[in-house]
Amino acid sequence: MSVGEWIVTMLQSGADSLASYLAAHVLLCLVPAFFIAGAMTALIPKEAITRYLGREASKWVSYPMAALGGFVLAVCSCTILPLFAGIYRQGAGLGPAITFLFVGPAINILAVSYTGVAIGLDIAVARIILSAVFGIGIGLIMAFIYRRDDSAHNQATGGAFSRDAGIGRGPLVFLLLLLAGLIVGTLAIGLLTDTYAHFTLPLGDTVQWQATLDRLVPYDASQGQEGVSVQGVLLIGLLALIGAAAWKGLNTIDEGFNSWSWVALGLIALTLLVAALRFTPAPDGLMVGITGRFVGEVLVLGAVGLVAWKWLDAYDVQEWLWETWRFVKQIFPLLIVGVFIAGMVRVLIPRSLIEAIAGKNTLLGNLVGVIFGVFMYFPTLVEVPIANMFLGLGMHRGPLLAYLMADPELSVQSILITAKVIGNKKTWVYVGLVTVFSTLAGLIYGAWVDGANLWHILGYLAAIVAVLAGGLWLVGRLDRRAETAAVKVD
Amino acid sequence: MEVKILGTGCPNCKRLEKVTREALAEMDVDATVIKVTDMMDILSYNVPATPGLVIDGEVVSYGRIPPRAELTAMIATALSKAD
Repeated sequence: MSVGEWIVTMLQSGADSLASYLAAHVLLCLVPAFFIAGAMTALIPKEAITRYLGREASKWVSYPMAALGGFVLAVCSCTILPLFAGIYRQGAGLGPAITFLFVGPAINILAVSYTGVAIGLDIAVARIILSAVFGIGIGLIMAFIYRRDDSAHNQATGGAFSRDAGIGRGPLVFLLLLLAGLIVGTLAIGLLTDTYAHFTLPLGDTVQWQATLDRLVPYDASQGQEGVSVQGVLLIGLLALIGAAAWKGLNTIDEGFNSWSWVALGLIALTLLVAALRFTPAPDGLMVGITGRFVGEVLVLGAVGLVAWKWLDAYDVQEWLWETWRFVKQIFPLLIVGVFIAGMVRVLIPRSLIEAIAGKNTLLGNLVGVIFGVFMYFPTLVEVPIANMFLGLGMHRGPLLAYLMADPELSVQSILITAKVIGNKKTWVYVGLVTVFSTLAGLIYGAWVDGANLWHILGYLAAIVAVLAGGLWLVGRLDRRAETAAVKVD
Repeated sequence: MEVKILGTGCPNCKRLEKVTREALAEMDVDATVIKVTDMMDILSYNVPATPGLVIDGEVVSYGRIPPRAELTAMIATALSKAD
């Protein structure tokens, strides 16, 4: 193959990945997820979580709340580091702060829903459970190793760790509705995917259109290429329109609505509805099927609009849209570039290489996944298309999860900033623990995928926890003995 | 009056700076607006989330952009304290 042909193949592969990522199923997940992320940032006061992370909080409350806080508060790295430093210095101390730092980037709403739709619900659920469990584990271990330092941390009691605040009923119902929109848009059950009625748009021979599209964007399921449908083209067009309208309508939304804001919101609702329909090309036109998903989205969108209008302050709605648009501006362009590049690189990496290193659920394969995750820095969410590329190239799901756990947690950049807050030595201990636990997570999940007995796996997990707890207890006892000895000498 | 905007440069911090300057200009208040962008300096103010707003050494808001009316009220309070 000549160089020119290589470049064409690469560009085509990149364009193909991009086109299929902008297709219906991803839109139905990402669009609601961005709106949920915006609502969580704008409507949930940080104090609603942080007040459980104050100095007086018991361990039984602070660790689970730190993990939950990772889910609710940590949508962007902007918020993670100040909160992490705050929990460490004025709040519950090193342990819960570490739990928050570990759990946050891995299980925020955008990452989880995107992983679920692009790679599989199984990986998304494993990511949530294992991140939360191991995040609390790593936090407890760190707190134990450095328990003496912790008592010395700065005594200033600060605002968000004692102030009382909750979520009002309006915002809560609103958040739940948005969540319902996400679920209706993505869940693959018969009730939602079945077609209940259909009609035909007289557009001419749309089978020919689809044939042309298939020639332009080749379709090969074995390579993980999905191709582009007529519906996909329509959706990409709508997305471009939304981009233009949102630029004029949402950039200054905190100062109030203008007519472009309404156009942008209308287009977004239209896009979601079009994505929920089922289009089938036919010789006499385009057959449009009304799916359960479409009916569900109509109901949810109506309810969201009604609640926003009746129960939310105008300023809250503006702030919600502003935060949503900010996330889109910050994340979406990088995501598009990332998807395109992942698509191009897919052609370059030989399948045999990935299969040889991480095709099976081995210790080495998982470790390589983790180390790749630590040293490669990808912006938020881009780890998902990268992971999908590896999956297409034959990576086992175990090492894949190990990679997905390690990549957002650790990057050279985040290690440096963490080191500034808690010091070099603690940071390296943390990095070591994350490496070990992410590898472990991959191994455990991989074993489950390979069909290992769930009880065996739980048994192994229990054994690991027991060994850890025993080890910590032993260290504690030796410590105490040393202390008593020191006292006697005095 | 001394107004500090705490933020590493994320879009919300820039937005907060813009609306704060607008509010100050509208109220015709003589103030120096300082941007604090170094992470360690920001952390020393004990704010759990950026952007933070500090007027005359006191943290008055963090983690969000206050609405214009609230911003005006905060500046007015700080003015009356200074007198």
